[in-house]
Amino acid sequence: MPQLGKQSNQMAINQVQPKTSSKSTLSLKKQKGTLSLLLFVLPAFIFYFVFLLIPTVGAGFYSFTDWNALSQTFHFVGFSNYIEAFKDDPDFRHSFFFTLKYTAFMFVFQNVIALLLALFIETRVRTKGFFRTIFFMPNMLSLIISALMFSFIFSNVLPELSKKAIFHLLDQPWIGDAKVSFYSILIVSLWHGIGYMMVIYMAALQGVPSHLKEAAMIDGANPFQRLIHVTIPMIMHAITICAFLTLNGAFKVFDVVYALTAGGPGRSTQVMALNIYEEAFSNNFRYGYANAKAMILFLIVLVITLIQVKVLKKKEVEA
Amino acid sequence: MKRLYGVAATLILAIFAAISFFPIYMAFINSFKTQGEIFKSVLKLPTKLHFENYTGVFEQLDLFHSAWNTVLVTVIGLAGIVICGSLAGYKLARTPGKLSNFIFTLFLASMLVPFHSIMITLTKIAKGLHVQGSIYGLGLIYIGLGVNMAIFLYHGFVKTIPKELEEAARIDGCNDFQIFTKIIFPLLKPITATILILDILWLWNDFLLPLIMLTDVNNYTLMLSVNMLFGEYNSDWPKILSGLIITALPVVVFYAIFQKYILKGIADGAIK
Repeated sequence: MPQLGKQSNQMAINQVQPKTSSKSTLSLKKQKGTLSLLLFVLPAFIFYFVFLLIPTVGAGFYSFTDWNALSQTFHFVGFSNYIEAFKDDPDFRHSFFFTLKYTAFMFVFQNVIALLLALFIETRVRTKGFFRTIFFMPNMLSLIISALMFSFIFSNVLPELSKKAIFHLLDQPWIGDAKVSFYSILIVSLWHGIGYMMVIYMAALQGVPSHLKEAAMIDGANPFQRLIHVTIPMIMHAITICAFLTLNGAFKVFDVVYALTAGGPGRSTQVMALNIYEEAFSNNFRYGYANAKAMILFLIVLVITLIQVKVLKKKEVEA
Repeated sequence: MKRLYGVAATLILAIFAAISFFPIYMAFINSFKTQGEIFKSVLKLPTKLHFENYTGVFEQLDLFHSAWNTVLVTVIGLAGIVICGSLAGYKLARTPGKLSNFIFTLFLASMLVPFHSIMITLTKIAKGLHVQGSIYGLGLIYIGLGVNMAIFLYHGFVKTIPKELEEAARIDGCNDFQIFTKIIFPLLKPITATILILDILWLWNDFLLPLIMLTDVNNYTLMLSVNMLFGEYNSDWPKILSGLIITALPVVVFYAIFQKYILKGIADGAIK
């Protein structure tokens, strides 16, 4: 479309100006346009180049070296960092599977609960605003604040609650035990994240035309059938987006784990981002090796996003 | 039947709302107790409101100072992201051609890069440029990390503005820069608001970047001060909790005022 506009523009210029000089003015105009483009883009590009592009390229570059904090020089070591990460680093492998498990749980629970809450809230008239405010509120707080607040809940409040008969189930070693800690991390993440997804689902639900639901009602569809055959297909776009937002975010999880368990007990709840952080900043200072792990995380997120783009494109064609 | 469904829906929502609000409520009431009271019961309301928990934490951690640091970082970051992002996003959307497409794709592709993948090399570059450890440097880094998203959103929005306005201004003798500042930037207001809201929350609540960039306690942002609560007070919960409540307060106030825009910004940002 913009190209068409430009063509008609140039045609207008050609008509106004004498034919002989049209070529040189055109190229002059084009040069001026390029210069103007570069000037407008330059400020953004400088910051982007220094703080994002160079670090990205650098991370790829150093992942093939044995660079560390102790020695001044570094050597190329080929793929050996990558091979080590996969083969000889049980902590990293564990952090990968732990993150994968966390991502799978988040993927299901965050989206299902958020969608259910959105569906329920949309049927309310007077209390809609109130519930939306309450459910979204945790998302405003930072993950650090949320996690520290929950340390109190896990260490003091739930033990006391569990003494009351109906809450007996809450008597768990929430932070001290590796198995239970996984669920503690999950609970804080869900508490914090559900509201965000719910807001997106609510916006999508408002876009479902009511005449479709009415038509289905006249045809005798019950509420459940209306949900499955009318509402869900109409908000598929939002479901796809939320699903991938969750996948993307969950693989990069850091703050909650850092503040709630710090990866412990031992390294049992260490996630990938935390493993990279420790490798680079607090344990071995092996920057080259840590960069290789960082690139593995990047590749995982990249694959997820490329699949997302493909799925969304396919949806658009169908619609 | 319909009535029954309505009651059930409200009931389920109410239960979830109670669970959702419970941790904040617990943190709030226990922040006013003494340690002895917490030891006896965390569920009961405090017998007397101990505000000295708040004043103690506020002074000891110098929260006013770290709040000011956070404001500085946020303002520098936001100003840079909006100015650089709108300039570039506008021009890239208005210039056809290979070069423009290439630059735009470069910005767009970088949105895929997770922060955790570049944090190691980023700290080295920040050190090399002598911006590591500095509040202003931190603000500048946020520009570099956030400008791609802003360019993407501005780029999409500019396409909805008719070109005729700019052509008219050009005939009136405005140059490119004047067209931008006088005509275009005011028209970008809705998308600028969305970008501001999304980025304020990100910059204010961000933890990992300040953690690896700032070393001097004097330069700490609020989130780093929060992180210190545990080390400072061991398990003195009233102090820790009042610290958490104070630091959470600014965003809660922000939420109360701008709720409508925040929710709209999130929905727009996701679906577009």
